This record gives sequence, C-alpha cells and structure tokens, in this order.
Amino acid sequence: MEAVCLDIHPHILLAEDDPELLELLTIVLLRAGYQVTGCDNGLQLQEQLEQVESYDLVISDLRMPALTGLEVLESQLSNPYCPPFICMTAFGDEKTHATAKRLGAMATIDKPFDLDNMIELVQMTFSGENSNKYLRGVDHV
Amino acid sequence: MRLTVKITLAVLLGVALIFSAYSYFSIQREREQIKKNLSREARHIGESLRYIVTELWQQRGEEVAINFLKKANHEYTQTLVRWVWIEGDIPQQFQPRVPIDQLDDLLNEETVALLAGAPDGGDFLLTYLPLLTEDDRIGAIELSESMDEMHDYVQESLRHSAIVIGASIGSALLFMGVLGSIWIDRPMRKLRAQAERIGSGDFTTSVNLPGGGEIAELSSTIERMRGQLAEAREAEQLANNEKIEALEKLRHAERLATLGQLSAGIAHELGTPLNVIAGRAKLIRSVEMEPDDVSRSATIIGEQADRMTGIMRQLLSFARRGESQKQAVDLNMVLRGLQPLLEPIARERGIALVIHEAEQPLSIFVDPAQLQQVLLNLTLNGIQAMPDGGDITLTSGHPATVDVPDNLESRDTNWACLQVCDQGIGIDPETLRQIFDPFFTTKDIGQGTGLGLSIAHGIIEEHGGWIEVNSTPGEGSCFSVYLPETTSGEPA
Repeated sequence: MEAVCLDIHPHILLAEDDPELLELLTIVLLRAGYQVTGCDNGLQLQEQLEQVESYDLVISDLRMPALTGLEVLESQLSNPYCPPFICMTAFGDEKTHATAKRLGAMATIDKPFDLDNMIELVQMTFSGENSNKYLRGVDHV
Repeated sequence: MRLTVKITLAVLLGVALIFSAYSYFSIQREREQIKKNLSREARHIGESLRYIVTELWQQRGEEVAINFLKKANHEYTQTLVRWVWIEGDIPQQFQPRVPIDQLDDLLNEETVALLAGAPDGGDFLLTYLPLLTEDDRIGAIELSESMDEMHDYVQESLRHSAIVIGASIGSALLFMGVLGSIWIDRPMRKLRAQAERIGSGDFTTSVNLPGGGEIAELSSTIERMRGQLAEAREAEQLANNEKIEALEKLRHAERLATLGQLSAGIAHELGTPLNVIAGRAKLIRSVEMEPDDVSRSATIIGEQADRMTGIMRQLLSFARRGESQKQAVDLNMVLRGLQPLLEPIARERGIALVIHEAEQPLSIFVDPAQLQQVLLNLTLNGIQAMPDGGDITLTSGHPATVDVPDNLESRDTNWACLQVCDQGIGIDPETLRQIFDPFFTTKDIGQGTGLGLSIAHGIIEEHGGWIEVNSTPGEGSCFSVYLPETTSGEPA
C-alpha cells in the first residue's frame, strides 16, 4: 500500500539555504501533490542522496553553505541511480548554466522564477517514460 | 612722513649753516668797517685837536691847553677827550685808560688806536695822538669812543639774521611739509596700502599713480606685479579645481567599479526574496488558502520587502555621488553597514565574513561614503585573494601599539584602527612596495583599474590617517586603517 502511494506521489528532495524560499517551495510542491524532503545545505543534500535512494527528483540551489549544488552534482556523476537534478541559481551566467549541464543537471532555472513554471517543469519531468536518462541534460532557462 | 622730515631737516640744516656763516662774515666785515670808520673819524678829530692843543700849549701854557680838552667834552659826549701823560710821574687824572706798555708806539710819536674793555663792561675805541711838550715830555690826547653803538648795530644785524633764518626755516618747513605730503607721503601711503593688499592676497584693486617720476614708475611696476600674481593665482586655482574634479571623477569611477563587483552578489541577494515575494503572492491568490496562511504569507512578503529595501539602501548610499561630507560616525556602525553589501559576494566565493566590533563605540570624523569605499575595496581585494575560500575578518578597535608615520603629527591623538585580514595567497615583498602606486595592479586586464588602493590611500590620508599592510605569502594579508578618534563632533 505504501509503495503504491509512493508511486502516486513522487518524492522530491529540495535543497535551499534560504529558509523562506525553502518553506515556500515545500508548500507549493506539497500542494502540487508531491512528497517533499527539505535540506538547507549541500552536505545534507549529499548525505540524503547517498543514504536514501528513493528520490525521484532533486531541486537544488547552487550556492549553499558547506557544499555547493554543483559540487554535489559532480559527486553524483558516478551514481547510476542518481535522480534528475533541477538547479536554481541567482548567478545565472552562461558559465554556470554550462557547468551544470555538463555535470548532468536536467535544467537550470534563474531566480527569481515563476512558481507555476517550476511546477510545470517538475510535471514535465515525471510525464515522460524512463524520465531519468531522457531528461538529464535538458537546459531550461 | 619720516623720509620727508629727514630730507627737509637735512636741507634746512644746510641752508641754516650757509646762511649763518654768511651772516657771521657779513657782520664781521661790517664791524671791521665801522671800527675803521670810527677810528678814522677819531683820528681826524684828534689831529684837529692836537693842532689846537699844540698852539694853546705854546701860546698860553699847559693848563689852558688841558682845560681846553676838558671843555671839549661838554659839547660832545659821544667821544670823550682827555689829556694823558705817557712818561714820568703820572698823576691819577692823567693816567691812560690802558696800561702804558700797550702804548709804546706813542714814544716813537706814532698814533695808536686800540680797543679796550672798560671795567663796567663796555668796549671803547681808544685813539692816542702823541704830543711832545716843550719840556720834552711825551703826552697824548686820548679819544675814547664807546663801542656800544657799534654793538647795538651788530646785535641788530644778528637779530635780523636770526629772524631771516627762522622765517626761512619756518616757511621751508611749511612748504616741504605740504609738498612732501603731496609728492611723497600720499603716493607712498597708497603704494604701501597696495603692497599690503597684494601681500594679503587681494589682487582686485588697481593703483596707478600719474606722472613720470620714480614713484609713478614704482607704481606701474607694482601694478604689473599685481597683474602677474593675479594671473598666476587664477591659473593655479583653475589647475587645482581641475585636479579636484578629476580626482572626484576618478573616485566615483572606482566606486562604480566596486559597485560592479558587488552587483553579482547583490543580484543573488535580491533574487531569493523576490522569489519568495512572488511565490507568496501567488499562494495568496489561490483560493484554497486558510486565513491564517494568508496572513503568514503577507507577513513574509513584508519581511522580504524590508530585506530588499535594506540591501537597496546600502547600495544606493554607496553609489550616490556627492560632496564630501565629514561627520562624526561610529566605526562599528560603518562595519555593520558593510555586512549586507559584502555578505553575498563572500558567500558566493565560499568565504565566511567575520566581523569583530569593538566593545565601545569608536567615534571618528569622516565622510562615511568614502570610508565605506576604502573598506569595501580592501575587503573585495581580500576576497579575490582567497580563491579557495576561508575567513575574511573585519575588526574595529584601539590598536595596542601605534607606529605613527613621520609626516603625521601624533600629539595626543587617540587612534582608532580598522583591520581587514584575509587568509588568501598573500602579497610578495616586491608587490608590497608598489601596492599603493596608482595603476599598479596584479590582476588581469579588465579585472582591476589599479587605482583602488591608491585611492583608498588618498582618502585615508585626507582624513588624517594612514594604511599599513602586513602580509605573509601563502598565509594571508592584513590591512590596518588608522584614523584619529574624536571625543566630540569636531575633527581631531
């Protein structure tokens, strides 16, 4: 029963160091029907990814204390079961976008972004079959 | 006036000397002339008397002759006539007025004329005409004429001379006074006033004295000098203004460059609250919101807006270009104001910004915007020197020991110190020597103007302080800014 439930509600791992934004995104994603686990720094994100393998999507800020989003992304390059990454950044220069894409991020979105657009992006991620491999590398600006 | 008086006195002294000498010699000459005339007159009368007396003596005897002489005095008292004996036993009444040894020439039967003083003080011209009596005894007719008249005449002449000299001196003094005042004193006073004006830096008044004399020449020379000085000062002021303007522009440009460096961090800092605000607004718009949640969202929107306002204010106050306005500020407040500007960029680079405020407020008299510029510059340099992250520490406080540079007067100044210490790559000694030189940079082309530290140095120097650098390559650098502390709101 629980497993079925998990299938219906994809589990998203959310990493954002700003508590207000973390809270807001959590609310929005919950309302959109997803399970959400939040963490406020890169190290926590990495630990979550290494310990629990049941996440369907990671939405992560790039600039965070301890470890940056890019560093976590890089560390998951060798992990075949790594969920797709959507990166958020306020330093949306081309170099950052390119780096994120090279490291396998599915999309990189610039702050401030429209919440509806983000939800759409998330829904798009789950709408495709075999989402992981297919979607990694899409650069959504 | 003193010059005129001196010249006048010198001229008058000369005139008086010449005039006096002339008068003296004139009077002497007149005196001689009068004496000669009197003497000739006396001799003339004496000759006549001698002839008569000789006749009387031969015809009627000694007594009649001598009586005749006595009687002659009754009618004419200006010249007294007496009989005197020169030789033998001389009774008192026939004694000559002068001692006999002065009358030796009479013995040779020559006429003697001489001046003698009387016991009562008057002068007499005495003329003796010898007469050989029948018994071969030599007597003489003595004519004595008072010189009082001549003295009176001389006195009168002297008085006249004195009056003329006095009048000359008086009128000369008056003339010289008036003319000296017109020709010398007044123009001199004008020139002196003009020289003093020029000396005090007032080049506006023009003084041109008419005429072609030395004073007019001096006046036109001073006038030329005034013109040249005024031109020089104007040029100097112009150059100075241009310099100040250029410096001001340069500082503003540097401030904008710093702003550019900060902007990426600021964008990040604004991006997140903007996201929260937009998101919360959207949440409120959605229908299913509980009233409590709406209220909470509204509160969060307010807080995020405040957060953004704070960042904007800091940025604006820094970017705004204005006249230098020095005021008493607390160094701790300046440090606190920097935090929102520096925090984002530090975080972006993985650097922790550590701020240690002094326990007591540190009052300094500065232009806060300029001081902020200096500290931002130093901190951004520190951040750039730490590619691998680390701590950058800003500390305010009183330094334990102060090594005041020679060009600053230390007096009893209390120094406040602000330190910016990084854990970066450090600065090698060669670079350290040139670190405050304008246009010296170790950054890549387009990364730095090479003016930041030079401008920071200039700003702190203008505030009566200085900047020290200590650096260990590989370990980090520490910039210390020293500024005079104030006790009141006045500059130290």
